[in-house]
Amino acid sequence: MSLFRLISWPYFRRHVLRTLLTTAGIVLGVAVFVGMHAANQSVLFAFSRTVDRIAGKTELQVTAAETGFPEEVLDKVQTAGSVRVAVPVIEAVVDTNLKGQGSLLVLGIDMTGDRSLRDYDLESGDDAVVDDPLVFLAQPDSIIVSNEFAGRNRLSVGQRLTLGTVEGEKPFTIRGVMKASGLTSAFGGNLAIMDVYAAQKMFGRGRSFDRIDLAVKPGRSIGEAQRELTALVGPGFQIDPPSGRGQQFEAMLTAYSMGVNISSAFALFIGMFIIYNSFSIAVIQRRSEIGILRALGATRRQIRWLFLGESAVTGLIGSIGGVAFGVLIAHAIAASIGTLIADVYGVAQRTDEIARTPGLLAIAVAIGVTTSMVAAAIPAMNAARVDPVQALQKGKYQVLSAGESRLRAILALVLGLVSVVCLTTAGSRPVFYVGYFLAIVVALLLSPLLALTLARALRPMLKWVRPVEGALAADSLIQSPRRTSASVAALMLSLALVVAFAGMARASYDSIIDWMNATLNPDLFVLPSPNIVVRTIRFPPAMAGQLAAIPGIRRVQMVRDARVVFRRTPVMVVAVEMKSVAETVTRMPVEGDPDEMYRRAAAAEGLIVSDNLAELQHLRVGDTLEVPAPNGVLRLPLVGIVVDYSDQQGTILMDRSLFVRYWNDDTVNIFRVYVTPGAHVSDVRQRILETFAGQRQVFVLTNGELKAYILKITDQWFGLTSVQIAVAVLVAILGIVNTLTVSITDRRRELGVLQAVGGLHAQIRRTIWIEALSIGVLGLALGYALGAVNLYYILQIVHHDIAGLRLDYEFPVATVVALIPAILGAAFVAAIWPAESAVRGSLVEALEYE
Amino acid sequence: MSVAAAHMIALEHVTKQFAGKRRVTALDDVSVAIPRGEMVAIIGPSGSGKSTLLNLVGGLDRPTAGSVRVDGEALAGLTDDNLTRVRRDKIGFIFQFFNLLPTLTSLENVGLPLHLRGWPRKRVEERARELLTLVQLEARMDHLPDELSGGERQRVAIARALSVYPPILLADEPTGNLDTRTGQEILALVRDLHSRLKSTVVIVTHDMSVAGSCERTIALRDGRIVDDVRRAAPNPTRGEHVALQAD
Repeated sequence: MSLFRLISWPYFRRHVLRTLLTTAGIVLGVAVFVGMHAANQSVLFAFSRTVDRIAGKTELQVTAAETGFPEEVLDKVQTAGSVRVAVPVIEAVVDTNLKGQGSLLVLGIDMTGDRSLRDYDLESGDDAVVDDPLVFLAQPDSIIVSNEFAGRNRLSVGQRLTLGTVEGEKPFTIRGVMKASGLTSAFGGNLAIMDVYAAQKMFGRGRSFDRIDLAVKPGRSIGEAQRELTALVGPGFQIDPPSGRGQQFEAMLTAYSMGVNISSAFALFIGMFIIYNSFSIAVIQRRSEIGILRALGATRRQIRWLFLGESAVTGLIGSIGGVAFGVLIAHAIAASIGTLIADVYGVAQRTDEIARTPGLLAIAVAIGVTTSMVAAAIPAMNAARVDPVQALQKGKYQVLSAGESRLRAILALVLGLVSVVCLTTAGSRPVFYVGYFLAIVVALLLSPLLALTLARALRPMLKWVRPVEGALAADSLIQSPRRTSASVAALMLSLALVVAFAGMARASYDSIIDWMNATLNPDLFVLPSPNIVVRTIRFPPAMAGQLAAIPGIRRVQMVRDARVVFRRTPVMVVAVEMKSVAETVTRMPVEGDPDEMYRRAAAAEGLIVSDNLAELQHLRVGDTLEVPAPNGVLRLPLVGIVVDYSDQQGTILMDRSLFVRYWNDDTVNIFRVYVTPGAHVSDVRQRILETFAGQRQVFVLTNGELKAYILKITDQWFGLTSVQIAVAVLVAILGIVNTLTVSITDRRRELGVLQAVGGLHAQIRRTIWIEALSIGVLGLALGYALGAVNLYYILQIVHHDIAGLRLDYEFPVATVVALIPAILGAAFVAAIWPAESAVRGSLVEALEYE
Repeated sequence: MSVAAAHMIALEHVTKQFAGKRRVTALDDVSVAIPRGEMVAIIGPSGSGKSTLLNLVGGLDRPTAGSVRVDGEALAGLTDDNLTRVRRDKIGFIFQFFNLLPTLTSLENVGLPLHLRGWPRKRVEERARELLTLVQLEARMDHLPDELSGGERQRVAIARALSVYPPILLADEPTGNLDTRTGQEILALVRDLHSRLKSTVVIVTHDMSVAGSCERTIALRDGRIVDDVRRAAPNPTRGEHVALQAD
């Protein structure tokens, strides 16, 4: 402790900026980790909280994923011996058209039995509304709203509230305002209650319910009730406690969560390099100090712990700062994730509070401190190895010795070979990941050597451009590969991440465009909601006939998509009129014969799956699939595997007749409309809108609009990763600032000499700028090289472990080219302050500086 | 034209104090004038202010009070860059620790001030070769400082100081880091160059033999001039260096 006070503290005070930059590396790394995870958790918590609050005293919920089920299922459930009370529920998220209010969660319930599960105490309005269900039934436009929602919108009993329904915008009368309770705070307080049968009509449920909430009889266990109900209703239903819905929601976000984890890990990894860089430099600069301490009797252990202690303190302070900053940015990230989830998964929820779980914060601090100490471990060991005699002599201690270079090269070669072997013979995923890890280690081992070689290659060019400034900048890099390499390595890792994500995005884009062009070829799409992934509002099938009768329409295809549980994973079922689709869409299967595939699928003799589902669930053509449905288990052979982007977890394509039969659901999500040759798409669209005006809420998108919408969602998906990438690059830029400030300190005398012999301020600045730009160039070269390898691994991970997507390897040339000025610009910006500090200060002191 | 302006170097009532926990006066109301072409030694014990005086003359530092003129130009009002231009055009520095850039060859080190002035590469190389030949290092042109002896390094430093044939040569303990024999060789070289180029030379030294070889010796103690002795008449050929001066 006394060593820390006597030695470390004065060093920190003398090098405030460097200490701040080092800490900033950890702050950013931890902030990204906390921000992403807190936001992610908050979104999950918000969903679970809404589920919990709506659940009330519900102990079990009966669902058929999100497809709903016939009313008769309720009768069955109510007959179960272990069930005390079972009530039907319909949930719909609707647009309120109230400025700044967003969506409203409407809960359709049956007042008769529901009060035994949930409290509906009114603070205003006639209690008869809830006391006598007949009042509600008699007035199907009745609605009860939460006091929070009423307060925010100055609504009171008797006032009208317009909501979007399948029948268009409909006015509802507020019959009561609920007292504040757990229930009313669900969905951020934007909650309304209406009668379940009115909800069926308003939201196009026909004679179906979304869910049954139930309580178990006293003396019966939850497990007992689950078993009884499973036997009673069949395997097509999920019977879980309310918390199970949160787990399903989480399972749906698997791909997203994996992306968050990878990005956070990279940000921390890059932050680690800044720490490593700082401590390596500190050890080099403090060699004489260490030598004196050693000469005075300090043990190697004491020296090692001095540096590890410093790194722990830096890590702790950085982690605390990172946690605070992370919680701040979590709000913005949560809002972004919320929008993304609503747009990609069609699940709307409101995130009002950021989860500050002590566990997450403690993990973040622990990760920050550990990262810092791990990064400082090698420099600390080097410090402990310092020979007191040599330490007091000047020497080229920043230069890589030939022995060390050789050792690095040999180690890199061996690990590189092992990595290739892991890749080529990877039978198991862990072996593949070991190979991936080793490939990165090889890049890190080689980065100082490669940076040195590239800097040597750059020197003649830099000298040619600027004889003094260019040569000195290159020399600075060549003379101090240790100082330079950690920054270059940090930049290399950042860019490798960028290249991989950009390559993945490019490949996804191209693949999605191919898929859209192949499958989304109707001229118009008719939807019940402006959001194509919202499936809680649907059309009746009779609309198909009405559409077909509109002049200018050649063909109408009905599409019903719904998320179901297949092999305990939420996947998408897309039910289409397969025969009609086969006539309009030509798509080549990844596996299977195209004619046979469509013929058997249209005859309801087989199922088609997306290639990502086939990959994730290890499915082959010929396998028999078992898809649990409310009317029994659908057992059919797999007749084809196609590329499909309907859902990240995978898609099962089937003929519509199968869905109607097994799910007892003939509703429609989307009508695909083909226009008669010669007819104007805009005219037909207008006719559709006119036909359904006043009857039904209808949104008509043209082919181009739908594709643009899908690409917008894709942009949103990759947009979030762009933010993470920006942070990673920012962390790398911090590394450059760090390196340059140290470089200026190291070269203080040299820069002083340059000024003494006639170097103008502009010339000195240029030297620093060129050095920064050179670091940028080295980082770009190595980053792109590693990025090319990283992209391959990431595509493999996406294919086998995340989304099951088979994406083509496509080096993102456009991004790579666009990044060149961005990175060089950032490197230049990073050099501005160090360059200014280089021209300030006493020249006399600089010339005397040792 | 004032008396001060007629001299190559003129200090009038110059005081230099260093701020810190305790204010230290390095130079205390010093006035001195050095004519063109004179070779002057400044001697004194450590802390007497001799290096400070040299730094002020060289425009490396600014006085707390008083004025410093170089070739008739007052340094006080100049911006940092204009001060650099004065150094670049009129002053050559020779340091005790040579201050060569370790990554540059002898040729590159000597050419450095010329590159900074924006000379064409070919001309820089020609001049650097010429100067290295002058200091008898034609065989060491492509050597890095690490590959040279102490005396050779100081020769390179002298060649660099002379690269633009400056009218003033400032040397801070030029033999302080050399053995006696090499020190004498360097001193002889400086004297030779002084007589050939007619530069004004100011040498800060502890070494009385170095001081003895100069035409004039100024002794400092506690920041004040305590002695100012001329051993020979000032060089009468002032101004001849103009013919050799770089453009």
